[in-house]
Amino acid sequence: MSRSVQLSSSPLLASKTPVWRSKLIVAAIALGFMGLVARAAYVQVIENDYYKRQGEVRFARTLSLPANRGRVLDRNGLLLASSVPAPSIWANPEDLERDQVKLKQLAKLLDMSQAELDKKLENEDKTFVWLRRQLDESVVKEILALDIKGVYSIKEYKRLYPEGEAAAHIVGFTNVEDQGQEGVELVFQKALSGKAGSRRVIKDRLGRVVEAVGETIPPEDGQDLQLSIDSKVQFFAYQKLRDAVLDNKAKAGSVVVLDAQSGEVLALANYPSYSPDKRVNLSGEQLRNRALTDTFEPGSTMKPFAVALALEKGLVKPETPIQTAPGRITITGSTITDAHPHGVLTVNEIIQKSSNVGTVKLAMQIEPREMWEMYSQVGFGQKPQIPFPGVVSGRLRPYKTWRPIEQATMSYGYGISGSLFQVARAYTVFARDGEVVPATLIKTEQKVQGVRVFSEDNAKAMRKMLHMVTGPGGTAPKAQTMGYSVGGKTGTAHKQEGKGYAGKKYRGFFVGMAPIEQPRIIVAVMVDEPSNGRYFGGDVAAPVFSETVQQTLRLLGVQPDMAVKPQVVTKAVEESF
Amino acid sequence: MTRLNIVLLLTLVFSALMLVHSQYESRQLFMALETARKDTNRLEVERDRLLVERRAQATPLRVEQLARQQLQMRMVSPGITQYVHVQPAGAKP
Repeated sequence: MSRSVQLSSSPLLASKTPVWRSKLIVAAIALGFMGLVARAAYVQVIENDYYKRQGEVRFARTLSLPANRGRVLDRNGLLLASSVPAPSIWANPEDLERDQVKLKQLAKLLDMSQAELDKKLENEDKTFVWLRRQLDESVVKEILALDIKGVYSIKEYKRLYPEGEAAAHIVGFTNVEDQGQEGVELVFQKALSGKAGSRRVIKDRLGRVVEAVGETIPPEDGQDLQLSIDSKVQFFAYQKLRDAVLDNKAKAGSVVVLDAQSGEVLALANYPSYSPDKRVNLSGEQLRNRALTDTFEPGSTMKPFAVALALEKGLVKPETPIQTAPGRITITGSTITDAHPHGVLTVNEIIQKSSNVGTVKLAMQIEPREMWEMYSQVGFGQKPQIPFPGVVSGRLRPYKTWRPIEQATMSYGYGISGSLFQVARAYTVFARDGEVVPATLIKTEQKVQGVRVFSEDNAKAMRKMLHMVTGPGGTAPKAQTMGYSVGGKTGTAHKQEGKGYAGKKYRGFFVGMAPIEQPRIIVAVMVDEPSNGRYFGGDVAAPVFSETVQQTLRLLGVQPDMAVKPQVVTKAVEESF
Repeated sequence: MTRLNIVLLLTLVFSALMLVHSQYESRQLFMALETARKDTNRLEVERDRLLVERRAQATPLRVEQLARQQLQMRMVSPGITQYVHVQPAGAKP
């Protein structure tokens, strides 16, 4: 017979439950609820920031408000650099729709081969790949019209330089991230780029902005920058220089045009140059702003300074005769010679014929300290006060270390070095009746205060000598222009190579001003290593000077100060230009 | 007393509805404002782009080429310029 257990009669159940047990349960549940209440109070009242923030993250967005980069303008307000929108295309290979027909079209629009595109997209682990940056807006529209999943566009800006290579060295360029890399784009990066702003907004389900929350920080657009450059003068100067460099089979060249009265830079060009819009395979040769960053021995273009100082000290008068025969002079064992021996020359003629011996004879009567002070005052050995990357100060040794032969060579431009810009600026001392003014790249309205170095009479006397240089019997008749009187000084310098001088490598210079009575502009030209037979400054650099002066004065509306044979007739005149 | 409460309740409901409505309206207006702002921005950018383009069409290089090749023009020189001296008004020539 089977046995069964009667549960109701289980002795375990029969035992009486103690009261404290049910009370404990109630207490435990109550405690649990209190815990919840406390937590709720904590979350909602005391420590509610965190959750508020978390909630906001899900619908509030911070939008950055990009600032527009300022434009670079020339002195007449014409554009030298400006930003335009140029969207970039990127892809997310992870969730890209790999439709071969569409991808083929995409490759074509991106101007790359199918293989190139495939290579960019092959890694499917990546979530971001640039396909092409800074495209034309119209192309981007077409790409987006293909409607490929996983291909997106992003707003970016591109810098355009309408003046191209003519103004490349001055304006410089920016990189793809809109950061200035060269020229004024680099120097004035901070002012040009402005400051991005931001705002917090609430977006709805469709991504539309429905409400602004909190404060909006407006973007500060970059400031426009107005340079002293005149884009027409710049273009002509560059064009003439390029032609001269090519004609003379030279290595390079530079030209600087200064406003003689205000010291503003009207043009500054170098050749070889580059196109700032398309920067591929650029070499340092092309990028270098030679007029500001290369120093060299200015050669005979330095002579007027030593001679003017001799006039200033009352050692000689413009008409004082100086014996330069037999065309050489020996100073502490070293001999200085003239290219062509002359006999007795007046001080005027020493400049006109560029006599080394005559200049040295005058310079040796001057105290080294006085000469050093004058050179410093006109800016040699000093960094030009213009903001530009890589500006050099050149070399002017302290006068206490000068040996007599060094003082002698310095008077005709060896053993002292400077940039073409420094030489051009130093010539303001003659153009402004004895006062030197600082040169500037930024347009200035107010009158500049000069520093007096020479007396007015001596500066005028020197201008007369400079005028004679371009006249008959001078070294640079090719500097003459039609209608405007000019004056200047040629220079032809052996190039320094290593420790000595290169045998057949020269630089030809011409630095001058026009019109000579009341100079409006100073033009300095340097042609590096002309190798087409001619290398004298009067042959290679003076023609560039002449043409640049002619065009610049016409553009500035300066009336000719010399009588011109009118050619307003029927016959066409073949103009060389 | 009950009547007053009902009036107050209705006022409260009405006010709440108005609040919702005005919030909705403000968002609509804000969106319109946003669109207008975006348009302004877009037009400004477009204007800049056109300015650059105009400038690019009128660079000295292009002007000179066109003047020379298409219009057969040449550079002026003082030799072919007639200078006119302007007398100040009332001055005797």
